[in-house]
Amino acid sequence: MKKIIFIFLSLIVAVSTVNAQKGINFNHIYAAGGKLLMCVDSSAKNVFYAIGFPNQPRTTLSYLPEVNNLSISINFRKNINIRHYRYTILIDSKPIVLNKPIDMTQLKDTHAGGDEEIFSSTTLGIFPVKGKIITTLIYSIDKPQDIDKAVFYVKPIPRAKILSFRKRFKTNQGVDYKWITDIKDRTRIALTEKEDELTIVKDKSDIDYLYYTSIKDKKTNKIIFKSTTWDYGGIISEDHEALPSINIDKNIFKKSGEYEIIIQPSIKWTNCLDCDISPKETEKYITRHTLVITLAEESYTKKELYSYALMAAFVIGLNFLLILHAIKKRNKKKVVEQEQQKNTAKLQLNSIRAQLNPHFLFNALSGIQNLMNKNEIDNANKYLSKFARLTRNVLDDKELISLSQEKTLLDDYLQMEQLRFGFKYEINRSENLDLDNVEIPSMLLQPFVENAVKHGISKKATNGKIVITFTKQANDLVLTISDNGNGFDTEKKNNGLGLQLSASRIALLNSIYKENRFTLAIQPSTNGTKISLTLTDWL
Amino acid sequence: MKAILIDDEISNLENLRTLLEKHCPQVSIMATAQNINDAVDIIEKYSPDLVFLDIQMGEQTGFDVLKLLPTRNFEVIFVTAYDQYGIQAVKFAALDYLLKPIDIEELINAVNKAEHKLATQIQNLQLDFLLQQLKKPETNISKIALQMQSEIRYVALSEIIRCEADNTYTRFFLSSNEKILVSKSLKEYADLLRPSGFLRTHQSHLVNPKYVKSWLKEDGGILLLTSGEKIPVSKPNKDTVKQALQQL
Repeated sequence: MKKIIFIFLSLIVAVSTVNAQKGINFNHIYAAGGKLLMCVDSSAKNVFYAIGFPNQPRTTLSYLPEVNNLSISINFRKNINIRHYRYTILIDSKPIVLNKPIDMTQLKDTHAGGDEEIFSSTTLGIFPVKGKIITTLIYSIDKPQDIDKAVFYVKPIPRAKILSFRKRFKTNQGVDYKWITDIKDRTRIALTEKEDELTIVKDKSDIDYLYYTSIKDKKTNKIIFKSTTWDYGGIISEDHEALPSINIDKNIFKKSGEYEIIIQPSIKWTNCLDCDISPKETEKYITRHTLVITLAEESYTKKELYSYALMAAFVIGLNFLLILHAIKKRNKKKVVEQEQQKNTAKLQLNSIRAQLNPHFLFNALSGIQNLMNKNEIDNANKYLSKFARLTRNVLDDKELISLSQEKTLLDDYLQMEQLRFGFKYEINRSENLDLDNVEIPSMLLQPFVENAVKHGISKKATNGKIVITFTKQANDLVLTISDNGNGFDTEKKNNGLGLQLSASRIALLNSIYKENRFTLAIQPSTNGTKISLTLTDWL
Repeated sequence: MKAILIDDEISNLENLRTLLEKHCPQVSIMATAQNINDAVDIIEKYSPDLVFLDIQMGEQTGFDVLKLLPTRNFEVIFVTAYDQYGIQAVKFAALDYLLKPIDIEELINAVNKAEHKLATQIQNLQLDFLLQQLKKPETNISKIALQMQSEIRYVALSEIIRCEADNTYTRFFLSSNEKILVSKSLKEYADLLRPSGFLRTHQSHLVNPKYVKSWLKEDGGILLLTSGEKIPVSKPNKDTVKQALQQL
């Protein structure tokens, strides 16, 4: 802690035994880095002393722009072997003292900074320093590498100069560079997709370490980059000297626009006693350079533009194709689904079709048995073949049958029922209807006819009458079944299995044939029931 | 035997008459009817010994005829083309029935049986039983009529532990330790009682699951009944029996 106080305390006031020489105020002692102390002209202002630097723990710099004479002294702690110390003093890089041991006879005890601790102290020299750079190098022969270097800069610190910019870009082999050497206050730099790094090259000076670089986004006024270090790799001046440079990743420039490069000495202008330096004056030390950055994303060459356009077109085209494909696939799926639905409907239809009333079947057989038992062999044969034809039709999986086939089927059926109930029936047709070539779903009418027999005329016996018509009405096929029975209540749900099956069958047919082509109308009245089935646009 | 024929179709009446005249000379047909009202009238008028009754008559049933009669002192042979519900109830009541077209042998058998019953002068409760059963939903049938040699037993299904085939006969084992031999095949009772949950474990065995105590793994599967009897489960029935027992 004491050492830190010793080195960095802003001001150490001590009573010096040395008399004033050449106008130096020996009562005002400044820390000067390492073990050194200094005293300067009593009139001197703006003394920036013992400035330290990142990564340079043993180097300090004191900037003394208004000093004429400088006294440098050294303080040793009592436990230090002073005899092992050597010092070198250079004026403007020319040695005036080289590796000289401390003159032990000149050492005096002193309190540094009013501290209780007593140091051994001696003056290394008093120099006229105006316009010069004094450098001291001090080390112990025990550790000859640990050289404390103190620089006393007694002339204006020069402004850093940007010599050039360099852009790095990717090539097939690796990377290559483009140079911008004609540097004014403002440089336009376009960074393409392939260019990934920007290098700023500064002029060489003895005090490069003093300068630090920052980059400000002029739009937001924010510092987006700061560096206190310099690279000395590969960029060589015409004098074969390695030039200080810094590499800046392109990505710090988020947007195209103006950026300011600021290179300035790391002196805190306000951080000193009796400092009287105006912002205007400090500006003299600062290098400002405006970069106008244009990023590749917004600026395309014609060739790039073409390729991007081509790429965009390709992507859009691809998307289009994909969407088209998806739609096609979906449609296909839909078609398959519809097909499946249709198939299910067909299956259901088949199962309904197969449900020819077993009551009828067995009663019909019973009727035939009766004919046999009555020895009406011819009639038995006739009805047996009718029964066989009817059964075959039910068992047949035919989807469509011609109207003439349907007529035969109904004839067979009605004649079988006649055998049971003894009613009359007619099947009438429009003259202009081609019975042989017009087809309808098989077993379409049978359930209605069965209903007419069962609920219509079975009680009326020989007075019963059923009339069936096949009519052409424009393009529609109209099929009607009327009976002169007592009619039935359409409100009554329980109108027999046959009618229920027929209704669901017509719904199924409509789902298969679409556009609701099948319409069923039931007109019950006290003197009979009429059922009309219209097949729209069927002919 | 005085007989009456009831059917809504004239050809059926004709047919039945022809067959009876030819094969069952002991039957004398008093009258026929084609609807329920006529049927009730002629039954009351002729007091027949035997009634041939069509089940499905237009929108009504032959059962309706029975319901309209205050006394039923006659044997009934049901005739039907196709009526599962009716037949099921008829079977539970152990009544006779004929299917159209009529099988001559079955007709002769049925007439003989009726004649036998009339001879023993058993009071005919089967028709009452039938009408009772018809009032209930089919799955709720709780009693069955068992036709024994000289009597009809009405047994609650819950009383039946198991049935065992004995040639063409079926032996019923009741919870009262009673055994009843009935002159019908086990298959008929299996079909009749399966809807009530009875398990056909074996071609010779029908078991009421109520009386199953446990499943023994020995010999590929055996049911131990609460009565202590062991009933074999044949291989093809194993899975269905197991499943049914798990659901209990």
